[in-house]
Amino acid sequence: MGKKKRGHPDVEELLARPWCYYCERDFEDLKLLISHQKAKHFKCDRCGKRLNTAGGLSVHMNQVHKESLNSVENALPNRQGLDIEIFGMEGVPEDIVQQHNQRIITNFYTAQAERHAATGNPPPGQSGGQGPAKKIKIESSNEIKKRLAEHRAKVAAQKAAAANGTAIPSPVDGQSPGQGASPFPPPQTGFPYPPPGAAGAPPFPPAQAYAPPFPSGPSPPPGAPGAFNLPARPPTNTAPASNLPQRPPYFYNGSGAPPSGYPGNASTVDELVASAARQGDDIDQMIRMAEAGIKPAGKNGAAEEAGGEKKTKKDKEKNMRMVYADTEISPEEKMALLSRYSYIPQE
Amino acid sequence: MAPATQFEVAQPPNDAISALVFAPDAPNRLLVSSWDKNVYLYEVVDGAEEANLVKTYEHRAPVLDVCFGANQGEAFTAGLDRLVKRIDLVTGEQTILSKHNEAVRCVVYSPKQSILISASWDSTLHIHSTDPSSSQQHLTIQLPGKPHALAASPSKVVVAMTARLVHIYDLPTIATALASSSAATISPWQQRESSLKFLTRAVSCMPNDAGYATSSIEGRVAVEWFEDTAESQARKYAFKCHRQALPDDEGGGDIVYPVNALAFHPVHGTFASGGGDGTVALWDAEAKRRMRQYQKFPDSVAAVGFSSNGKYLAIGVCPGFETGMENYSGEGRTKLFIRELSETEAKGKGSK
Repeated sequence: MGKKKRGHPDVEELLARPWCYYCERDFEDLKLLISHQKAKHFKCDRCGKRLNTAGGLSVHMNQVHKESLNSVENALPNRQGLDIEIFGMEGVPEDIVQQHNQRIITNFYTAQAERHAATGNPPPGQSGGQGPAKKIKIESSNEIKKRLAEHRAKVAAQKAAAANGTAIPSPVDGQSPGQGASPFPPPQTGFPYPPPGAAGAPPFPPAQAYAPPFPSGPSPPPGAPGAFNLPARPPTNTAPASNLPQRPPYFYNGSGAPPSGYPGNASTVDELVASAARQGDDIDQMIRMAEAGIKPAGKNGAAEEAGGEKKTKKDKEKNMRMVYADTEISPEEKMALLSRYSYIPQE
Repeated sequence: MAPATQFEVAQPPNDAISALVFAPDAPNRLLVSSWDKNVYLYEVVDGAEEANLVKTYEHRAPVLDVCFGANQGEAFTAGLDRLVKRIDLVTGEQTILSKHNEAVRCVVYSPKQSILISASWDSTLHIHSTDPSSSQQHLTIQLPGKPHALAASPSKVVVAMTARLVHIYDLPTIATALASSSAATISPWQQRESSLKFLTRAVSCMPNDAGYATSSIEGRVAVEWFEDTAESQARKYAFKCHRQALPDDEGGGDIVYPVNALAFHPVHGTFASGGGDGTVALWDAEAKRRMRQYQKFPDSVAAVGFSSNGKYLAIGVCPGFETGMENYSGEGRTKLFIRELSETEAKGKGSK
C-alpha cells in the first residue's frame, strides 16, 4: 500500500469523480461539471444564455422565445428527458448512479487487467512466480490511447463480422492481452474465471439469456450472483457469436446498443459518450485540458486556466466574425458605388 | 390590454429601405425612403392590421433619408442626387432646399426651432431655416469627417462621423446663428469620441433630452448623457447585442452583425435596436435591461421607428450589405412590418 507512483487512479478516486447525467462524462471537480452542463446541455440555442437546469432552460425558451423545449441537447439517447431535474450531481436517479458506478468499476478492472498483462506484473498483493518478471514497460498516454484505439477497432471489426453473420471465432491471442492472458479474475465477480476462450462453457439457458433488458430499478452488477444462477460470463469479447447467446444490452435499457460481448458493450457505451461529446466544444476542450493538467500553450494560457469559464476579451475579439468590417466606409457609401444605384449628375 | 400584433405591409418598397419615420402629429402616417428612388407614404389603419400605401414620391436617385417637417403634410429628403428637398406630401410638389457636393446622408428636422439640418458625405452640415418668412438660404458647417448618422433631441443635434468623431450642437445656438447668418459662430457644443470602437451606424436621442444612444457595425450599442459632468459621464455604458454564437464545430466565437437602427420610444423612453441579424430588441436604457427580443425577421433590419404615440413600431427589413458584396440588391426581399405594441410592451421597469 501507500505508494501511488503509477499514473493510474484507483477505483475510489474514479468513483468519486463527478460526472454528467446527460452524457456520462466525468470531471475533475463539480465546478467543471456544472460549467459543462451549462455549456452543453442547458444552453439556449437561440440566444446563447446558459441556464442552470433543463427546467430553467425550458422556462426561458417559453418566456423569452415563445418556444417549447422538448429534449436536452447533446444528451445520450435515453437521457434527453426534461422530467428529471439535474444540477451537477444532484437529482441523478439512484439506478443510474448504480449503472454508472458499475461501468466505472468494470472499465477500471478491464484496464487494470490489460495493464498487468501488458507489463507482465502481477497485481499488487500477489506475487508473481511465473517466470522472470518482465521488464516494466512504461507506456506514454499516447501509446495507451493508440492501443485502446486498436482494441476498439478490433471490437468493432468483430461486431461487424458478427453482424454479417460470419461469426469468426477469433484467436485468443489476438485479443487484448488483458482478456485472454490475465490469470487473475476481476475481483468483483465472485465466480471462478472460466478458461479463456471457453467456447465450450456451459451454454446459457436461452430463456434466461434472452431476458428482457433490466427494468429501470437498481441493476445488479454484471456477473454478480444475481437472480439467475448462471456461471459467470467470461468477460472476454471472444465469445463466438455462434455458440453463446447474446446478452441483452446491459447499460442502456432499451437504447438498442448492439448486442455483443461485455467489453465490446462497454466500449459501445464509451463510443456513445464519445460521440455525444464529439462536437468539440471549446469549453469542453478547455475542461479536458484543465483535467489533464495541461496548461494551454502560449498566449491565452492564464485566462483559460480558470477552468474554461472565461476567455479574455482579446480572445473573444479574435474569434468574432464581423458581417460588415469596414471601419472607415459605411455600407451606404459602398452601395452608392454600385452601378444599380449610382447617380450621374446631369451637368 | 390590447394584444400585440404584427403584420406585413402589402406594398413594400421595391428595393432596400434606407429610413422610415412616423409623423409627429399623426401617429398612423409613416414615411419610408428607399434605394429604389422613391419615398413611400403609408397610412396605418387602426385595428385592421393593415397599412395602405397613400402616395409615392419619385426622386432622381436613391433616397438615403427622410423626415417629417412641421406637420404631416411636409417632409424632407436626402439622397444620392446630392439634393436636400422639401416635399409637399399632399400635392407631391418637390422643392430643392440646397445642394451638397456629395450625396446627402441624413436629414433631421427640429420642430421647436424650425430648422432643418442635412449631413452630407462632402463633410458638411447644411442648416436651413424652414420659416417661410426667412429669406436666408442656408448655412454650411464644415465637419472634420464624413457624417454617417444624425439625430436631434429637443435642444441638441448629434452628428456621428468617421474616425469615431461625435459632435453635439446646441440647437438654440444654431438658431441664433442662423438668424444672424453667421456660420462662423457655430461651433460644436461638445466634441466627443465615440464610446464604440467601430464605425458608428446609427444615433438616436432620448425624447427627454437627457442623452442619446449610438450603435456601431460591430454589434454594440452605447448609451450616453449630454450633461458634461463627471457624474453624468460615469453613467454612460455600452453593451454587445445582435450577435450570434457560432456552432463550435465552426470554430466557435460570434458572428457580429451591425446594429443598423435605433429608435427611442416617445412615451416610455425605452429604445429599440435593429440589427443585421434580422432581430429587433427593446431595451430599457435606465435599468440596463433587454426587455424583449422579437422573432427573427427574414432579413437584416435596416430601419426601425416608433409612432408618436408609441403605439406602433415600424420595422424595415431588407438584405444587409455585407463585406464583399458586389451585386447587392434588395429587390424582392424588402419588407415592411408594423407591430402594434400592447400598452406595457415597451414600458421599462425603471432603474432599481
